[in-house]
Amino acid sequence: MTIASIAARVRDGRRIDGRDALRLYTGAPTALLGRLADTIRARKHPSGVVSYIIDRNVNYTNVCVARCAFCAFYRPVGSGDGYVLGFDELFRKIDETRAVGGGQLLLQGGHNPDLPLPWYEDLFAAVKSRYPDFRLHALSPPEILHLSRLSQEPVPVVVRRLVRAGLDSVPGGGAEILVDRVRRELNCYSKATADEWLSVMRVVHEAGLRSTATMMYGSVDTPAERVEHLCRLRDLQDETGGFTAFITWSYQPANTALSGVEATGIDYLRTLALSRIVLDNFDNLQASWVTQGGKVGQLSLAFGANDMGSVMIEENVVRAAGAEYCMDEAEIVRNIEDAGYVAKRRNMTYDLLGDPLFRRRAIPRRTTLAVARPAGDTSLPAELSRYPARSRPGREQRSAPDPRPA
Amino acid sequence: MHDDLTAALDKIEAGAVLEDRDWQALTGGRDLIALGMAADTARRRRHADRTTFVQVVSVSVSAPVPADPIGGDAGEVRLAGRPATAEAAVAAVRTLADRAPGVPVTGFAYGDLDALCGHDPVRLGDLLVDLREAGLAQVASLAADALVDPEPVVGVLRGSGSAVSSLTFGEAVGSDVWRLMQRVKSWDGIGGICRALAPLPSAEPSPPTTGYSDLRQVALARLLVDNIDSIQVDWSRHGPKLAQVALTFGADDVDAVPAVASHDQGWRRSPREEIRRNITAAGFRPVPRNGRFEAVEP
Repeated sequence: MTIASIAARVRDGRRIDGRDALRLYTGAPTALLGRLADTIRARKHPSGVVSYIIDRNVNYTNVCVARCAFCAFYRPVGSGDGYVLGFDELFRKIDETRAVGGGQLLLQGGHNPDLPLPWYEDLFAAVKSRYPDFRLHALSPPEILHLSRLSQEPVPVVVRRLVRAGLDSVPGGGAEILVDRVRRELNCYSKATADEWLSVMRVVHEAGLRSTATMMYGSVDTPAERVEHLCRLRDLQDETGGFTAFITWSYQPANTALSGVEATGIDYLRTLALSRIVLDNFDNLQASWVTQGGKVGQLSLAFGANDMGSVMIEENVVRAAGAEYCMDEAEIVRNIEDAGYVAKRRNMTYDLLGDPLFRRRAIPRRTTLAVARPAGDTSLPAELSRYPARSRPGREQRSAPDPRPA
Repeated sequence: MHDDLTAALDKIEAGAVLEDRDWQALTGGRDLIALGMAADTARRRRHADRTTFVQVVSVSVSAPVPADPIGGDAGEVRLAGRPATAEAAVAAVRTLADRAPGVPVTGFAYGDLDALCGHDPVRLGDLLVDLREAGLAQVASLAADALVDPEPVVGVLRGSGSAVSSLTFGEAVGSDVWRLMQRVKSWDGIGGICRALAPLPSAEPSPPTTGYSDLRQVALARLLVDNIDSIQVDWSRHGPKLAQVALTFGADDVDAVPAVASHDQGWRRSPREEIRRNITAAGFRPVPRNGRFEAVEP
């Protein structure tokens, strides 16, 4: 098929296969990709609303055994820079989130061998007990798989236990590119193969939870592998219908073992537009302003995105890899309205919650995102002593006397 | 495409006068890509897929000694800042021209030189001749927002054999910019002395401009200001990502690409391979140029 005939097919609302998607991605002018994506966005969201969510992006630990070559955030077991957030610290973060109108934590972290499944269950239960209406959008598929391996419980059992403790929905992190050649090269094959990532998501959806899906492109992947990733997500969505949204972002190379250079702004807009075209069974596409900056983030709205994502409040992972952008609610709304759309708050399932909150009450402006902990604070939360550590450094750390004054 | 936007773009193509309704369609609304496509067509008509860029070593006019030797990738050495006196300006140019033989030296805002000469066109003309003879290839910038009558400026520059690298809109934003574009379009002779129009603000206003507003400004500059050859974006000031996207919205020249990779400039900043990669990824052909706007390789 020619580019023109593929474009006509997209305009008619018909599905394109992977081969045609690749042809479009590698051959169509950027403006054509954008127009096609915008046509689909307008068809799916004719009201002209662009949504966003007020929630907080928290990383409960940076200790990780996965050692992905693209990650600048993790610290190996025993590292002096490793941290685990305590329950009280997380409660404080929830209090701060609620104070600016947030109702959810996006909670993800490293594959820490010293945090067993009961730690997560107790944390979730404690959050729900203290904040019954607060939502936990937590634990990407590789984290769930890690807990399955650690606890030696099947994934469905782990998911069931986490849901019983308070898990509400699952973020789509850890997908990177769902092609095993890429995953081997990125050293993330062992944390989850492409099939494993998808099968965890299938279990999550079968358990009645909704999730998001993601794609990190621009490391060692080819255009064909990005298309394959999108097609695999589309297939699972056909099967379960469990994905609420898709988010793509470019690999951030600073301070990583893999190093290299970041994909360009045009690459991002083309990839976003292609995602909107291929993922015809996804309702929502988010802009990734946290990796692209506010300006290209806003331009996402012309290339298929209908959602500006989260105000985040806190961010640790992308910052470690060199990207430091911040948009608070007022700034997100300003960008949405400047692009000619109506800004509405939403929740994780994309139910609209109302107009911008900062117009109803005073909310302090935020110009930088918070971090998990102040630099150098690696203090050990008291409750960790209740849980067995698996690694030797973890066991030694927990048996050592607390150096802090009583 | 929205009917009003189509009508406004048709009017631009026909050279007709734009009315309020046209401005609303061009500067508001959601259809950013339609505007970009029109600007891209105008840009390709003029420059095809050629996109020039210049790698610049910036040197303070108060201490005109570069921190590092001026490397092979530098296409321009630019004096930044306001000189204390006319003599200091000439001396700074002479120093740099001696240290960077073969690399065009540019510098100064036209308004600063005019102020140094007490707004006397004869003195200013003499100073421009002195600067040119000391080695100044071009005056770096001329602010359109501070220009009431361009005719004497064009006269002084022509009379002294000088030219300006970039016509800027200074710190103008919003409707001031649209008015300036209309004015510049009517200025006879401006294209003969200004090589490029840099339509984005020279300093980020508060609140900052948005991606949409920046790209609209670039696209409308290309569509409206047809008497200046190049539309320019600044790699260092606007960032590689926005600058790259702007190339698909009518810009054809990238200014202020660093000549050397520097930790101070952060890992995103671009040596030559990075700018080439960005221009190529945007679908254009990169052509390095120097401070005189001459291509420096085939």
